[in-house]
Amino acid sequence: MSVPTPEPSDKALAARAAAGDDSAFEALVERYQRRVYRLACRLTSDTDAPDVLQETFLQVYRHLRSFRGESQFGTWLYRIASNAALMHRRAQTRRPTASLEGFLPRFDARGLHAATPAELQIAARADELLDRRFLAEKAREAVAQLPDLYRHAFVMRDLEEMSTADVAQVLGVDPATVRQRVHRARLMLRGCLSDLVGVKP
Amino acid sequence: MNAIVCATGVELLMDYVEGVLSADVRAALDEHVAGCAKCTAFVASYLETPRILREATAVSLPADVEASLKAFLRARTSAFNAD
Repeated sequence: MSVPTPEPSDKALAARAAAGDDSAFEALVERYQRRVYRLACRLTSDTDAPDVLQETFLQVYRHLRSFRGESQFGTWLYRIASNAALMHRRAQTRRPTASLEGFLPRFDARGLHAATPAELQIAARADELLDRRFLAEKAREAVAQLPDLYRHAFVMRDLEEMSTADVAQVLGVDPATVRQRVHRARLMLRGCLSDLVGVKP
Repeated sequence: MNAIVCATGVELLMDYVEGVLSADVRAALDEHVAGCAKCTAFVASYLETPRILREATAVSLPADVEASLKAFLRARTSAFNAD
């Protein structure tokens, strides 16, 4: 019976990589490349994600020595990826994006929902009601149309399923701000799903 | 606090889900939603939205993108020289 060797921690690999052990850097790339690519796709687009992925790991390599291990390696890496995604988007010619404000819930003068219960619930079934490929395309467009601040908070909290505290650390804001941004994004995207199935949100 | 209506209730949902509401506000929201078919329906779609978007935007790393990353890092760092 063999005892499996425990995987080295991120911190241990980062320390070795910073000291010039390139195999440790390669191990970190292997460990995180899928997550960074997925994050980059969600923050930018499939077209831009390969560049963001490359830029992220180049920055990681260059700044390994400044990673002191006070934060989690993952948090530090996600901050680099998040900044790389923002820089990349800024460098692109910005297409005019439709506002998602029109997808926010509507209320009457007394503050009651304007839509009926059936209309209000329909977004929950968007994945049953829509063609999978159509939904995938429209979901990407909708996430891309969110304002940058909302998109980054929403993607990390809800799509990457990071904790609110970790997202707050990555973005350098307090948890209440993360909750507020994620909430706004959820409201807009919920309305967008409703609109996609043909029901006014 | 004033009685919760749909519009004020909606603004509390994230804090409700994250468990950061005070006990009395939480109880007031529970009470409103339990008696409001519209809010019950709204909450269901609010809670499902992250999952639907997560599944719809899931991607895996294509082999050519992974190979390009390796080649890129090999050209710009001293790493990835072994293969």
